[in-house]
Formats: sequence, structure tokens, C-alpha cells
Amino acid sequence: MMKQKKSSLFGGVTLAALATVIVMPMLLPSATLATEILIFAMAALACNLLLGYTGLLSFGQGIFFGGGAYVASICMINWNFGLLSALLTAMLTGALLAGLVGALSIRRTGIYFVMLTLSFSQMAYFIAYSLSDWTGGDNGLLDIPRPALTLLGFEISDLVSSQAFYAFVGTLFMVIFVFARRVIHSPFGTTLVAIRENENRASAVGFSTNHFKLLAFVISGGITGIAGALYAMLLNFAPLSNIELQMSESILIMTIIGGTGSLFGSILGAGSIVLLGDVLSAVWPRWMILLGVALIAVVLFMPSGLWGGVGSVADRWREYRRRKASAIKSQEVN
Amino acid sequence: MKKMILRNVLLSAVLSATTSLSFAAEGVTIYGVKSVSGAFASYGKYADMGSKLAVEDYGTVLGQPVSYQTLDTEGNAGKAVRKVQEAISQDDARFFDGATLSSTALAIGKEVNKVNGVFVTPAGADELTGSDCNMSTFRWSVPTYGAIRETVKPLIDQFPDKKRWYTITPQYVFGEALLDNAKEVFAAEGIEHVGNSYHSLKEQEFSGYLTNAMAAQPDVLLLLNFGSQSSNALRQAINFGLKNQMTILMAWSSGLDQLQELGPDIAEGVYFGAQYWHTVDTPMNNALVKRVNEVYGMNPNYPLAADYISTTVILDAIAKAGTTDSAAVAKVMEGTTYAGPTGSETIRSADHQVLKDYYLLKGKSAADMADADDFVDIISSGKSFPDESTLMCKRS
Repeated sequence: MMKQKKSSLFGGVTLAALATVIVMPMLLPSATLATEILIFAMAALACNLLLGYTGLLSFGQGIFFGGGAYVASICMINWNFGLLSALLTAMLTGALLAGLVGALSIRRTGIYFVMLTLSFSQMAYFIAYSLSDWTGGDNGLLDIPRPALTLLGFEISDLVSSQAFYAFVGTLFMVIFVFARRVIHSPFGTTLVAIRENENRASAVGFSTNHFKLLAFVISGGITGIAGALYAMLLNFAPLSNIELQMSESILIMTIIGGTGSLFGSILGAGSIVLLGDVLSAVWPRWMILLGVALIAVVLFMPSGLWGGVGSVADRWREYRRRKASAIKSQEVN
Repeated sequence: MKKMILRNVLLSAVLSATTSLSFAAEGVTIYGVKSVSGAFASYGKYADMGSKLAVEDYGTVLGQPVSYQTLDTEGNAGKAVRKVQEAISQDDARFFDGATLSSTALAIGKEVNKVNGVFVTPAGADELTGSDCNMSTFRWSVPTYGAIRETVKPLIDQFPDKKRWYTITPQYVFGEALLDNAKEVFAAEGIEHVGNSYHSLKEQEFSGYLTNAMAAQPDVLLLLNFGSQSSNALRQAINFGLKNQMTILMAWSSGLDQLQELGPDIAEGVYFGAQYWHTVDTPMNNALVKRVNEVYGMNPNYPLAADYISTTVILDAIAKAGTTDSAAVAKVMEGTTYAGPTGSETIRSADHQVLKDYYLLKGKSAADMADADDFVDIISSGKSFPDESTLMCKRS
């Protein structure tokens, strides 16, 4: 029994994610690009907890991403916060903001829920824009440090090189990936799926669905806040666009293209969007049209996203092999 | 086997596509940070054309071929910074120009300065040569200080009886800087500032602000926004009939491309401030106009001219320094005077600000236009820059 649980957390998809994290910087032109993909994969993974597992289409992810980036950066610039304390602050900020947004938004469902998260997103943007003494306003927050990784007073790495920072982000990503898998395989995660499938029924059997949804929001916000802080450390800069509605849209698109309800799909979604932007923008200035076509194609032909598409192709291949084997077998019998 | 071949082919296609983006040719490479896709693509396209042409015209420097590499910002400051970081770490890039958005330019200036590179930008933020100045960043465009003094002051001189001015301002750092400068000029010239309307960065509907302006009955309406916001504000002002009731001045226009978009019906009788205009009679500009017409079949506009001269200035400095050591090149650029599109231009050592002319233009009627781009008359031009003793730039 114990062995089975361990296998579901550390085997299969987790191994695939680990292999991807290890191989990615070798295949891509730079570790910086690979780091950006992992950071957005982290944000998409957090969004997946809401959209894929709880059925909540939130346009508030940019609030938690931007909020985490700003608060961690302000703490590092003004009060010399270290790396881990800055990330912890970002996580708490994301979680707190998600708690606030969630507590009010989950009182409504469907389109009204979406509208509320949209409104919060707009509000957060204008707050960040207005507090220019703290956030840098439209110019963005500059001179954000990337502190060294220290544990118990010992410096493990200065994280100056892009490879070292990638290794740190990759390790953190895997910790969060395993944590997210633990969450979705727990009774709590199963209840979230039950809420997604039929909230009334989940409520009727005694679950306080609002509490579950709020906790999902808080977990998602915390992870997204960490992603925002890592992005600020990567760029040494926090642009206002971090907290814009467009950031929420990007994270949602990555989640949908990768595959809702699949944590590994988050890596595929973030990777495909960031890479498409890099490759296609060099080919055609209007590359965003192609991105639109790709999104339409995924929604129409791969409703479970890229990861679902990969699974479906694998299923068909297995079916083809099975039929071929049985045909050969029947020929041999005849 | 087939599967393996297919996988390998796909992998190499992806790798070659991605690595080609960051491949640097031998010799000297100028990296153009341009928004060729995304929300600011219409600006980035011309800026990119300007840098490409400058590199083509230069040919070789120090006996080495000069090449050009576009880094597409996708209209996103974060992407721009990441691509600059990549170019620095992967290709040892040191010479950069461009950046449309102030946020992008400020962040890139910091990145380039970490490796003692050179970055020349036409971006608008005064912080570039002010509080966030550094050894690597140089700015070609005139700051808000000069833009206001070379537009508001000449208009006051021309119409001494127009004493009541109303302003419409985007409420963020750049807009505030323009407004502060305007207030200083108003105070010095005895102008009554009868009101100001702030709007947000995303505003596109200005009827409420224009109604407030009409109610204040000013003699002059001063638009302190720029880009699509200033175009929309002006269009709506014309629709409200404000042109017949007051003089309108748009202090920070983007020049030819904006006037092509507005057309003579809107622009007629309106005053515009501009960093560059293609009919300016200077030897370098005459040559540039001729060359751009030959190559692209058009007159150069502000982004094209700004990025052409920014690229040329870097290459000139490399030639003068006799080395591609970027720190030495930056040092050579300080204090240099050269023949630019606006005439004699000097890079001030104290803050790396290019001291150049700013123009006050007045829109012509369609009937008075000699050719398709003859939208304005140049009313005045001049150089106005804050005194060195008042600069916010403190470089260690």
C-alpha cells in the first residue's frame, strides 16, 4: 500500500518532469530561456490546480504573480531579504492575495465568478500603477538583486550564472511538482475533482465546497507568487506587465494548451508558448495570429491539451500494435 | 527506426531554428532591441529598418564586417530583458540600440551596464539620463525638459495674448515629468494654468476630459500624452470643435508616422512637438532622406532616423576608439560631436544625453501640401537641456 503511494508521487509523470527539467537546458539555446519556461510552467501548474482540478477559470493569476514579484523585490531591495526568505514572502503574499480574491469570488459561480476575478485583476493593475514609489509604476521596478543561496549561514551557490539559477529553479520546480501531485492525490484533491464534476452533489454529501475552493485558491496563489518572485530575480526587474490582465491570460493559455487536469501538461504549455514566441517572432512579425490558430486547433482537436493529445496518440499506437499482433496471431493459427 | 529518424529531424529543426536566433556572425555585431511584433510593431518595424540600413551603409569597421541582429521584444519588457541577457551570455554581445518602451530601455540599460557594454536608445523616460543613468546608456531623444521648452515657450512668444492654458496628462512618470516642466514654463512666463485632466495609461476615450477643458475656456489646450492616446485625444478634440475655440498643441508627437495616421483634416492648424522631421535641411539628413527613398521608397520617420543615427554613432565610436572593447567605446562617445539628422549633435559627458534640436511644427491644410508627406511647416527649433549642475545623474 505504502509502495503504491510512493510510486504515484515519484514515478511516471514525476520522472518525466524530472527528465524534462534535466534535458531542457541541453536542448534549448540558453539556460535563461529554459528558466523562463520553468517559471511559467510553475505558474501554469498553479493555474491547473484551479482550472483543471477544481473547474475554476480564474483571471486573477496575474495578481498573485505580480504581487509575489513586487513584494519579494521590495523586501530584497529595501530590507536585504535573502533568497529563501524573499521566496517565502512571495509565497505568503500570493497566498494572502489569493485568499482575499478567492473569499469574495467563490461566492459566485460561472460567468459571475470569472467577472469578479477579471475585476480584481484590473483593480490590482491600477493599484500597482498608482503606487509608483514602491512598484516603479510604468517604468517597472529596477535593480532587483538575485541573492545567493545560503543554508544555515553557508553559501551553497551565488546563483550568478544562468546555469546555477536554472538548477535552483529546476529543483524548486520539482519540489512544487511533487507537492502538487501529493495535493491532487490526497482526499483533498479528490474532493476538488468532485467539486469540479458536480458541486451540488459534493455539497450534498457534506463537503463545505467553498472552503475547499478557497484552499485551492490559496495554494494556487502561493505557488504563483513564488513564480513571480523567481521571474523578478531572473530579470533583475519587475515590469508592470507582470500584474496586467494579459499575464493572467498568458498563464491561462499555457494551462489550456498544455492540458487542463495534467501537471506535466503545464510544462508543455509553458514551453510551447514561450518557444513559439521566440521562434515565430523571428520568422513573422504577426506571429500572434499563428498562436491564435494553434490555440483554436488545440481546443478543437485536442480538448485535453497537448498532454492529452500525446496520450491519445499513444493510446492509438497501442491499439494499432494490439490489433496488428492479434492479426498476426490469427494468421499463425489459420 | 523511422520513428527515430523523424524524431531526430524534428529535434534538429527546432534546434537550428532556435539557435539561429542567437547566432552571432564574426566581426562586430550590433544588436537591435526592437518591438517588431506585438503591440508596438508599427514603431519597431521602422526602427529595425533604420538600424539595418545603418549597418548596411557602414559595411566594415576596423577592417571587420559589421552585422546586425534583431532582438524582438514582442512588445514585452520582460522578454526584451531575457533576450538581451541571452545575447550577452551566449554571443558575448556588447553593442545594443533601440527599445521603444521606457521600461524596456531602463531595464536593458542596467543589463548592458553590468558588462560595460554600450546601449543607445531613443526612449522617452528622463530617468535614462537622470536618476537611473549609467556608463553604458546613451539617449538620443530630447528629454521632457527640452520638449516642453521648445514647444510651449515659442507658442507663448508667438501668441502673447493667449494666457489661459489647459493640460491633459497621462498619470504616470513620463506624463508627470511633462506636466511639471509645463508648469515651470507657465510660472516663468506668467501663464494661467486653468486646469488639468489626468487620465490613465489605458484610456482611449477622452470626451469627459475635453468637456472639462471646454468648460475652463482656455486659450490653448496642451496635450501631454503620446502615441495612440494623443491621436485619439486630438481626433476627439477636433470632433468637439475645439480647434475653432482654442489653439491645440501636442507637445510629444511621434512625427511623420503619426501625421500620416491623423491626416491633414485633423492636423491642419494644430501645433506638434517632434524629435525629428524629414525636411530639416542638414547635410546628414538630406543624405539620409535620399538613401531611405532609394532603399525603402519612403521618407524617413522618427523611429527610422533615430535608430539609424544611434547605430551609426556606435559604429563611429568603435572606429574612433580603434577597438571593440565596449568600455573604451563608451568612453570615446562621451563628449563627441557629430553631424546628425538634426544638425550638429553632441553627447554630453555628464549624463550621456545627446544635445540636439527639438521642433515645433504646425499642420498644413491638404491644399497646401506639396507632396503626400508635407503635413507641416517647421515653426521653430532649438536645443533646451537642464543645466549640468541640476542633473539627477550621479555616476560612480
